Amino acid sequence: MAILAVFLARRPETLLVQCMIILFSLPLLGIGGALVRSLGLICPMIGLIFIITFLFYDVQTALLLSVRLLNLMTVSFILFRVSGVEEIGNTLKWIGIPHSFVFIFTTAMRYVPLIGQKIRNIMDAQTSRGIDLRPKIKNAGNFIALLMPLLIQSFVLSDELAIAMETRGFGRKGRSIRKMHPLTGLDYSLMAIGLGFLILFAWWENG
Amino acid sequence: MIRMKNIRYRYPGTGWVLKGIDLSIQRREYITVFGSNGSGKSTLGYILNGLIPHFFNGTLEGYLAINDAGAFPVVGTVLQNTDAQLFNSTVENEIAFGLESLGLPESEIERRIKEISERLHITDLLGQSPMDLSGGEKRMVAIASVLCLRPSLLILDEPYSNLDWHGIRQVRSVLREIHEQGTNVLVIEQRVGGFLRDATRCIVTEHGKIIFNGSPEDSYEILRRNHLVPNYPKRCDSIPACNDPLLSVRNLSFRSQKKEILKNISFEIKNGETVAVIGKNGAGKTSLVKQFNGLLRPTDGDLFFQGEKIKGKATSQLATDIGLCFQNPNDQFFKDNVKDEILAGARAIGKNTDHAFHTICNIFHLDSILDKSPYRLSEGEKKRVALASVFVMQPKLVILDEPTVGQDGRFREALASLLDELRTQGLTILIVTHDLEFARATADRWIVLHDGRLIADGYPRELCRDEYLVRIGAMIRPEEDAGLIF
Repeated sequence: MAILAVFLARRPETLLVQCMIILFSLPLLGIGGALVRSLGLICPMIGLIFIITFLFYDVQTALLLSVRLLNLMTVSFILFRVSGVEEIGNTLKWIGIPHSFVFIFTTAMRYVPLIGQKIRNIMDAQTSRGIDLRPKIKNAGNFIALLMPLLIQSFVLSDELAIAMETRGFGRKGRSIRKMHPLTGLDYSLMAIGLGFLILFAWWENG
Repeated sequence: MIRMKNIRYRYPGTGWVLKGIDLSIQRREYITVFGSNGSGKSTLGYILNGLIPHFFNGTLEGYLAINDAGAFPVVGTVLQNTDAQLFNSTVENEIAFGLESLGLPESEIERRIKEISERLHITDLLGQSPMDLSGGEKRMVAIASVLCLRPSLLILDEPYSNLDWHGIRQVRSVLREIHEQGTNVLVIEQRVGGFLRDATRCIVTEHGKIIFNGSPEDSYEILRRNHLVPNYPKRCDSIPACNDPLLSVRNLSFRSQKKEILKNISFEIKNGETVAVIGKNGAGKTSLVKQFNGLLRPTDGDLFFQGEKIKGKATSQLATDIGLCFQNPNDQFFKDNVKDEILAGARAIGKNTDHAFHTICNIFHLDSILDKSPYRLSEGEKKRVALASVFVMQPKLVILDEPTVGQDGRFREALASLLDELRTQGLTILIVTHDLEFARATADRWIVLHDGRLIADGYPRELCRDEYLVRIGAMIRPEEDAGLIF
């Protein structure tokens, strides 16, 4: 499953209005609601990109770029929503990426929500003593009050993480690997479909 | 099993942290090590599990022998910060991580996961992400992830910090079982609690030396004398609070992501009162106080401060009326000296606080550290700076969220007398805590939250023995909570 989405994401071709149709049919997997909720974050970003490209280039480029960005984000959203971090990690291992790199990736993913929590805590603590951190232009100077504690706490966390891994024998030789989610016929056929679409679009582009 | 003779250690660039430790550990022991912040107790743990000298640099001197024929992890360590300890995406993978490191075959790994999860009663958590667990559950998983490696000595660094009485009870009974089944247990703590009674031996460290090594029953005197059990000051007679309410909460409800966090809460806080909000972790205490300064907005109901609605006012503007100080001081440090740090909030909203600043520095004993970097302070000093940065805004109501977590007895004593002093100056104080001893020493009135509901409001003396509250788990009897009544 994961692989199909990866293939989709690697396809930033132009004129992908058709792609939108596929993408909007995918949330039918039952994650439409969650997608709509996270649109609150995606839309302003895309809006910003649109305005910037509109100012520097023209409407057409801006529009195309925004659509492409939306596609890209939706697809990666679906990827991370549908498959667990370890599944993606295992797939990366299967592709042939060394364990240590895959481990960095999975651990980083694991800490995304925690860092999010930390950001909220820091913002609460700072606004409670008068340092306004709401996203307004006049508050821009205050953001150092968010960044500094966040950076320092992340360093401390990574230190503690290293200790935790060390005490449980990370880096010892002869590590055994449990449970490789084996690829089933379904995975292979989905990969084939993904590849088929990719070729189809490439051919349609050039032809 | 383990013998240490005259062990001395210092981290790179610091003075001696351990100054000659003699210690031997026999089989089948349950040892508690108490010490205040910076007394070298965590460092002692690092030496026992080999992180010193293999992971940390620095200078290690002395003699250390570990006699055990067993395989790799003779000593297993459960760290204080469970967020760092638990780095996998599910509990099952968490437990498997160490076993995979040992290179065990898959069938053996599966067998051990099953065995350990049944032993610690966490079978139904296996599929969940460690992020979604409660504090007590996280601690259990952390213990499982180490214990499955079958160490002969299990070291736990402050396993009870951050836990409420419910979590403490869970972890306590598991540690007791582990010890009975033949694993040595060594608990490093700074807060003395009922778990002391489970131990077979008690060790007290101070300034890098062991100053007591004996049975828990005999440790009482020395724990008191070293302020590990705080001697809370006797409070001056309660000042009759004025009758005009400073803060009124009317039928407040709060929902977040379709979950009801607070349900129909009403109460009033009068000018000059000291009130403690008591409850287990997750009872809604922090969500409640965040409503008062606008960090969260109620879904239903009203809030009045000095007769005016709080609704619609920005949090940073409210800071001059209502100060809220959170648990972790590291969340707010960003300046390179203490003075700027304390004044940062006041400067951001353009308030002149020169006079208040000097008074506050006096009360909090900060004059000697004003030029230091806030990151280089001790835990107690950090907390004092964080509190000062809220008090310097001269708010009329100050809310302290879990002020005693991670603080040693000496600091808790100091904070109690400090709050008493501020109270006599007419400040209204709200303390959010699950540290009942501290709440008993500081507050005139308790408000008890349970499952998002306000279920009791009254005098501490009466509430702490209330049969109903104890039965539903919203309260714990002082005898069970405190460690020193034998």
